[in-house]
Amino acid sequence: MLKVANVMTKNVVTIDRAATLVKCAKLMASKSVSSLVVTDKRMPLAVIRENDVINGIISKKARVIDAMSREFLIVPPSANFQEVTKALREKKIKKFLVVEKGKLLGLLTETDIIEATRDFTRLHQIMQEIILAVFGLATAFFLFYFSPLKVAVFG
Amino acid sequence: MAKIRKIMLVDVPTLKKHGKMEDAAKMLAQSDAGCVVIIENNAPVGIVTELDLIRKISSKDSRMNGPVSAIMTSPVITMSPDTKLDEALKIIDTKGFRKYPVVENNQLVGMATKRDIVNAISDNLRLHRSIQNIVLIAFVLFEFFVFVLYKQVYKYLPFGI
Repeated sequence: MLKVANVMTKNVVTIDRAATLVKCAKLMASKSVSSLVVTDKRMPLAVIRENDVINGIISKKARVIDAMSREFLIVPPSANFQEVTKALREKKIKKFLVVEKGKLLGLLTETDIIEATRDFTRLHQIMQEIILAVFGLATAFFLFYFSPLKVAVFG
Repeated sequence: MAKIRKIMLVDVPTLKKHGKMEDAAKMLAQSDAGCVVIIENNAPVGIVTELDLIRKISSKDSRMNGPVSAIMTSPVITMSPDTKLDEALKIIDTKGFRKYPVVENNQLVGMATKRDIVNAISDNLRLHRSIQNIVLIAFVLFEFFVFVLYKQVYKYLPFGI
């Protein structure tokens, strides 16, 4: 089974909770990421998304702590990928912090999940083709072996 | 193969070309769509995503009083409702965007996102796979049946071996 640790983004960009939203936007633009992990003394606290920054700027908030989103799930690195996808689809949670023993290991975003789903689909497609080919060959052999044709050819 | 028409979002946030940047920001903050399509005579001329606004906020002049056309991505890549899903995935791979307005007869009718397309293909394949497995099992059973039958009756066949 595919684990969360295999598909997550490992280089997470973090921002202190006291930082300003403009600084946060600059960091997002320069690192080209769509979400940052908000930390408090290096401990992961929450996630801030592009949407939260825009929302915060409109409602005239200045600091990250006022605008950050609390809609996220903490998952262990050994969590099953399928379970996470289920949570994404059913509960509309889009961000997953991968934390083990209080230490931030990575961030799982929608982009990671989409890419993993794609790779997974492709892998399954290839496996299915291989099974089909093996079955096809086995059937052909079976029919040949037990048919009069085999006797006619090999005596 | 399913088509874009089946999976597109119908409720797309739109804004006129001369709309204000601030309105676009408000629309983005309220909706879950992640982008605002800029239209002129109901045809899409551009698209503003969250990233465009983030760039604007982080630039020197971060005031949001200009027209939305200053920050929009234009021209915009569109899809037709009759585009097949695997063709759509090819378009996504070559263009690299995530959101595509869907246009029919030069009118905006919906929006297709990368997420929906990938998920639809994955679901499609899962269904396909289970059907294929059932067919395979039925086939093996049938082969076995033929084998047993053959063992019983082959001596009476006209081409006796």
